[in-house]
Amino acid sequence: MTVTQPPSHDARERTPPRIALSLTINAMRYEIEISPSATLLDVIRDQLGLTGTKKGCDMGGCGACTVLVAGRRVVSCLALAASFDDAVVTTIEGVGTADHLHPLQAAFIRHDALQCGYCTSGQILSGIALLSENPGSIAEIREGMSGNLCRCGAHPSIVAAIAEVAGL
Amino acid sequence: MNAHSHARYEALLKVTGQARFEGEIAPAGLLHATLIEAPIACGELVSVDAVEAPTRPGFATLVTHDDSASLKSSAATTLIRETAIHFHGQPVALVAASTLAEAHDAARAVRIATAARPAVTQMDQALGAAIAPEMVGRFPAATRRGDVATALGEAELVIRNRYSTQVNNHHPMEPHVVVCWWEGPKAVVHTSTQAIFATRATIAQAFDMPPRNIRVLARFLGGGFGCKGQLWWPWMFWAMLASRKTGRPVRLELSRAQMFTLVGRRQQTEQDLALGFANGRLTAITHDVVAQTSAHTDYSDSTAVYSRLLYACPNVSTTHRLVRTNEPQPVPMRAPGTAPGTFALESAMDEAAERLGLDPLDLRVKNFADHDQETGRPWSSNSLLSCYRVGAERFGWADRQKRKKRDGRWTIGFGMATTLYPAIRQACRARVRLNGDASLVVQCGTQDMGSGTYTALGQIAADALGIPMAKVTVELGDTWLPDGPFSGGSQVTASIFPAVQSATAQLRAMLASMAASDANGPLGGKTSDDLDFEGELIRSRSSNAAERLSDVLARTAPDGLVAEGESAATDHPKLAATGMGHGAVFVEIGVDSALGEIRVRRVCAAFAAGRILNPLLARSQYVGGLIGGIGMALHEQTLTDRATGCILGKSFADYLIPVHADMPEFDIAMIEEDDPHLPGSVKGIGMLGSAGIQAAIASAVHDAIGKRIRHLPIRIEDCLGPACDTAQR
Ligand code: FES
Ligand code: FES
Repeated sequence: MTVTQPPSHDARERTPPRIALSLTINAMRYEIEISPSATLLDVIRDQLGLTGTKKGCDMGGCGACTVLVAGRRVVSCLALAASFDDAVVTTIEGVGTADHLHPLQAAFIRHDALQCGYCTSGQILSGIALLSENPGSIAEIREGMSGNLCRCGAHPSIVAAIAEVAGL
Repeated sequence: MNAHSHARYEALLKVTGQARFEGEIAPAGLLHATLIEAPIACGELVSVDAVEAPTRPGFATLVTHDDSASLKSSAATTLIRETAIHFHGQPVALVAASTLAEAHDAARAVRIATAARPAVTQMDQALGAAIAPEMVGRFPAATRRGDVATALGEAELVIRNRYSTQVNNHHPMEPHVVVCWWEGPKAVVHTSTQAIFATRATIAQAFDMPPRNIRVLARFLGGGFGCKGQLWWPWMFWAMLASRKTGRPVRLELSRAQMFTLVGRRQQTEQDLALGFANGRLTAITHDVVAQTSAHTDYSDSTAVYSRLLYACPNVSTTHRLVRTNEPQPVPMRAPGTAPGTFALESAMDEAAERLGLDPLDLRVKNFADHDQETGRPWSSNSLLSCYRVGAERFGWADRQKRKKRDGRWTIGFGMATTLYPAIRQACRARVRLNGDASLVVQCGTQDMGSGTYTALGQIAADALGIPMAKVTVELGDTWLPDGPFSGGSQVTASIFPAVQSATAQLRAMLASMAASDANGPLGGKTSDDLDFEGELIRSRSSNAAERLSDVLARTAPDGLVAEGESAATDHPKLAATGMGHGAVFVEIGVDSALGEIRVRRVCAAFAAGRILNPLLARSQYVGGLIGGIGMALHEQTLTDRATGCILGKSFADYLIPVHADMPEFDIAMIEEDDPHLPGSVKGIGMLGSAGIQAAIASAVHDAIGKRIRHLPIRIEDCLGPACDTAQR
């Protein structure tokens, strides 16, 4: 096998284009510069270091990256960040803290609705948005949560936790 | 030891997004890496032209096979030292850049030339070239006892079928990731691995450096299921080389598509199985397995092994053969061996019951093996018969035929099957520190891939010393800690138990003598076997006397106490008894009469796997395993394009796994066992749920529509057409 490389690595410091973005995340205002091709997930997880939001597939297929934008769930890996100027975003870090858990977070702990925990942020955010849609039955919760994959198989406990908070 | 449903130790961190997974470590100057993949399934890498890549913005370095020449040759470095291409998508170079987008961009500028050779892209193209491995895991690959041919010839009933199972991929939700850097001669490796110490040992070997100079961390793992092991190492090594070349930390994370090709799969099997019966008893079993392995490494599940011992049978013959294809490498996946193996065996048992006019449950009870007939040893404990009885009662098995066979458009069916998994242990060390304020720190260099290891470690120590979980800190997932087991084969809890117990026993002895030796203290003069530990007190059993742990410590050991415990791996040749966990799974399914859709409606499973430490977390493990089994039964298959050897549909859009909407009701019964042969009566539980259920579902489908489906996954297309009796039933 032959490997051809120039003698010295002259990585030219070309500045890639950047664009300005304002975001409100968990009631904090961010004025940042982003790459035009960045997704909302890239910005939240990599650029701002809010790593509670996970990347499971980067293709909209797993729900691990779910965040709320104006209270509605969005898979942030499919959301072009540049189109979310001035958006109001909630990530898991803004849902509740150890001292002030959201009722759904507390229910997740009680029902052991997590194993590895990698899908958990997305499940909780999706669950919170679903609760605001007033699901009327277990079947509706299952249907409404089906965009959030879990490979450990915590599904029944996740649904039980949401049902408990929904009063079902 | 008391069973207690403590909440998961790290749950608070996980529900608040504060649990930091290793890929989320972000050191200054971090570079992002990506892999360049071979566009052919078989051949040779000819050249890597990287003249243009370094001119791309942010480019930092390129790592190729040339760089791997500095690594020592070993199984873990073969793919990065040798330029042979064995499967489509095999990485041929790594590019690191300032951002991931820039790494992708620079990677596109690297031109790869390959020379293709004809590839074997499917097992059936090379059946004639199948090879026979010596061993399948720790078992001999081929065994024979009794006279199978004669027994089959004389049998009153012979059930002889071929069963096949498809390739599955593990797909933990967290893809494999490494963040690594060098500190002079030392390497720091944050990576999602199920085996930090094996990872350290392989790095030490490949980079020819002392293990003490390597720190591997995996404090949180976003799942693993068998794939976060050895197949990841070559690509992790390339990230480490990139870091060494640039002097900067490097992060490499696999894409979801690469999770189909680079980190293992459940191997495809074709299983020929024959059962012979006389008077309703098994007289002969033959189980011959052909399975896929890759062109570069042989791997075989222990698929037919469990046919040697699940039932009483005097004449048994089993074989395993492997077909090498230019497809990705298989590795163990959730219930390796038992999942595909019991699918065949238990499906055939159901068919036999039908032909014999027996209830499938009665047939199993009748053929119960009261000892391990393969080794001649007794079971260390075996409550399979209780599993059958309890599961059947809770499910309502006896009354099932009285139930309606229709529910609207759904045709209903019932099925049951057996599951089993060996109970074995690895060597383990653990350290327990009791601080002056009677808080505890438990340390063990194992990892928690979601199975509850944090909780188990904490609970075992807390329980032994009578300290509440709220005062326990657990540290794991770091090679600076005492050597712990890898996370696999349902072994971790059983392995850590004796090590932690030995450490806490030492602490109890020290504390007891400290308390008793103080003549003026409340426990002065008591003997240690009179002393008990509970509620942060040392208590005399014979009197009301008690003393607070913190008082004892303040008096005699204000800085606290430390003890290390150690335990050995299962010594198979010397075993007096075979350790095995068991279960019985009962399912109710519905088949949509018009559309052929299959839905699992209800699962009731009774498991007997020693003593359960934490019923809440054990239930999660069992249910999670069963859901994995449903995926294998009804959803999951990874297909290869015959022409190119490329994996088809490498995404969650095409690879179906069970989702919330697929969930049945679960009823889990846990039957406690005292096991005099196993420390603390602890057996592993992780794998049990993922086997047996496949055959139970297939049998239920037969019960519903009258069609035997002998391959997995069972899909809609299997339940449509003239052979399916959905209308009349
Ligand atoms: S990471 Fe966004 S849906 Fe999977
Ligand atoms: S808890 Fe592991 S993926 Fe859901």
